[in-house]
Amino acid sequence: MTIDITDPVLVNPDMPLLEVDDLHVEFHTRDGVAHAVNGVSYQVHPGETLAVLGESGSGKSVTAQAIMGILDMPPARISKGAIRFEGQDMLKMRKEERRKLRGQRIAMIFQDSLSALNPVYSVGFQLGEMFRVHRGMSRKDAKAKAVELMDLVKIPAAKARVGDYPHQFSGGMRQRIMIAMALALEPDLIIADEPTTALDVTVQAQVMGLLAELQQEFRMGLILITHDLGVVADVADNIVVMYAGRIVERAPVHAIYANPGHPYTKGLLASIPRLDLKGQDLYAIKGIPPNLTRIPPGCAFNPRCPYAQDVCRTDVPAVVDLGAHRQSACHFAQAVLDGELQASDGLDGLDGVDGRDGEVSADVR
Amino acid sequence: MSETTTPDTNPEPTKPTLPEQRAGDLAAAEGETLRKAAVLAAEKVEAPHSLASDAWHELRRNPFFVVSGVLILLLLTIAAFPSWFTGKSPRDAELREHYIDPPQWSHFFQADWFGYDGQGHSIYARMIYGARASIIVGVATTVMVAILGIVIGMLAGYYGGWVDSVLSRVVDVFFSIPLLLGALVILMVTKDRNEWTVVLALGILGWTQIARIMRGSVMTVKNSDFVVAARALGARTPRILMRHILPNAIAPVIVVSTISLGVFIASEATLSFLGIGLREPTVSWGLDIASAHEVLRDAPHVVFFPSAFLSVTVLSFIMLGDAVRDALDPKLR
Repeated sequence: MTIDITDPVLVNPDMPLLEVDDLHVEFHTRDGVAHAVNGVSYQVHPGETLAVLGESGSGKSVTAQAIMGILDMPPARISKGAIRFEGQDMLKMRKEERRKLRGQRIAMIFQDSLSALNPVYSVGFQLGEMFRVHRGMSRKDAKAKAVELMDLVKIPAAKARVGDYPHQFSGGMRQRIMIAMALALEPDLIIADEPTTALDVTVQAQVMGLLAELQQEFRMGLILITHDLGVVADVADNIVVMYAGRIVERAPVHAIYANPGHPYTKGLLASIPRLDLKGQDLYAIKGIPPNLTRIPPGCAFNPRCPYAQDVCRTDVPAVVDLGAHRQSACHFAQAVLDGELQASDGLDGLDGVDGRDGEVSADVR
Repeated sequence: MSETTTPDTNPEPTKPTLPEQRAGDLAAAEGETLRKAAVLAAEKVEAPHSLASDAWHELRRNPFFVVSGVLILLLLTIAAFPSWFTGKSPRDAELREHYIDPPQWSHFFQADWFGYDGQGHSIYARMIYGARASIIVGVATTVMVAILGIVIGMLAGYYGGWVDSVLSRVVDVFFSIPLLLGALVILMVTKDRNEWTVVLALGILGWTQIARIMRGSVMTVKNSDFVVAARALGARTPRILMRHILPNAIAPVIVVSTISLGVFIASEATLSFLGIGLREPTVSWGLDIASAHEVLRDAPHVVFFPSAFLSVTVLSFIMLGDAVRDALDPKLR
């Protein structure tokens, strides 16, 4: 095998495929400036699955849209930061250069496959369009490729169904077609924005399994955006937890289930229903996520945090390195990890869920 | 005693017992299932069901569509090949005949079913030859109006911002000019008037409604996930506009265009009636109504036939538009 020395990933194996660096996104609304993303940094390496976990409004989808370049600007504005794909800052690229990356190098899977597919064209036409636009294939070749792709994502009787329209497929089958569309040009990075949220639980597992399998096969980087802790446990390598536009915790996925290093993550895990705690009241994080036009001073999570001290209300916590590739943005990160703090609402003693069994299945939204 | 035991003497032999009834119900239910399966199978054959094929399926069963469709096809044929329908020229004057005589049997045998007008023209021949002017004005104006309205509406709706502000003000300006009055003024200062000048006058003033509808429709569609998805997968703006937005935004425009086609035909007749539209020797229903209204009291049939042709034509297009709207709007099903 020859090594292509112009390929920056092979020349420097440590270089991440994608690097989001101190990204700030704000929305100018009538109620003021909403700070949706406030200094998010993460990296994805080839073949890695990074889960981005957070509630609605935590900035996880906005970050993804900024990476794809599909943010509506205005009202959105990227006020600071860089998004580097193979070392090149995409925010500084020319429009046409950036468009060429989309679909070919970076692709996206959307949440609602019914509305993300064009209702007036057959799925075969839409899959084939990728090849006709980017590869200049003939209609006939493109259709053959479409059937191939539908086979790849395990749609039964692909040849017979290639002329069907999106509404003629079930939700799970449609999401497979979305995956096929994203995979069409064999991109290096796939961003999946809540790919299984619109599906029912049994289908979720199948689709997620398929996605993980194909990601392994093609050695793609995968950013998996979700609010579902259950989805994350089985497929992700690393996880970042977002809250109010910031990353509050970053860790390898199993470590976080075993022992969370941030009160917010701890609260999320404690609010998962568990068989061994049957009959007890389910834990819930008190309060609601902050209004992004008025993020509280200090740590954004302080009004809801059972461990909050005075310092949390005044100082923005720095990111603390906890070792073993773990980081947490909490003033008391080490103490939370070691379980040395006294919670004001009975959160203690609820953590330690083992995500490896795949038993974890809860919606934290 | 025997009454209760022998079935022959059952007082109500027609009333089935409970198990029998249930069996009957089951049979009926089975029949229903089979029928449903047959319907499903029949529909399977017709797959794939796009919006257009669904609409077509719906339209074929709508009597309004069938009637108006047949009438419009007939009119188009008449307009294209008038000589197929009459051997006479609309300009031949039979001076022996007089408009005061209502249609008679002798007229019938000469294939002048509707009698003669004041000049001794065969009214039937004039109706046949007059269709072309109406159809040309109606169709050409609608095409012009649709192209103008779709392009302007799409640009305003898609780009928004200052593009939308400028284009919307232009739309407002043209919208504020009444169609007939504006066309009247334009045609008054035009020296050589024919079908095409009428088309131009109506077209310049008539596109605003379609532009507004298209703008609104595009604004709804452009925020659809599939448009964002197309962009995320690397489609360029022209492709997004033509392939993804246009086909999904055009349905209301088709409906309004069909209805306004009738309106433009009526406008041409009105302008001709007022002496501002077409001129002799062009044959047009509007002109015939104009020349006949002087003899309305003596010979109402001379006015009746061009008016009836005009009304039926306009009605056909409006009915067609209504039927198409019902078929394209899934919520009305």
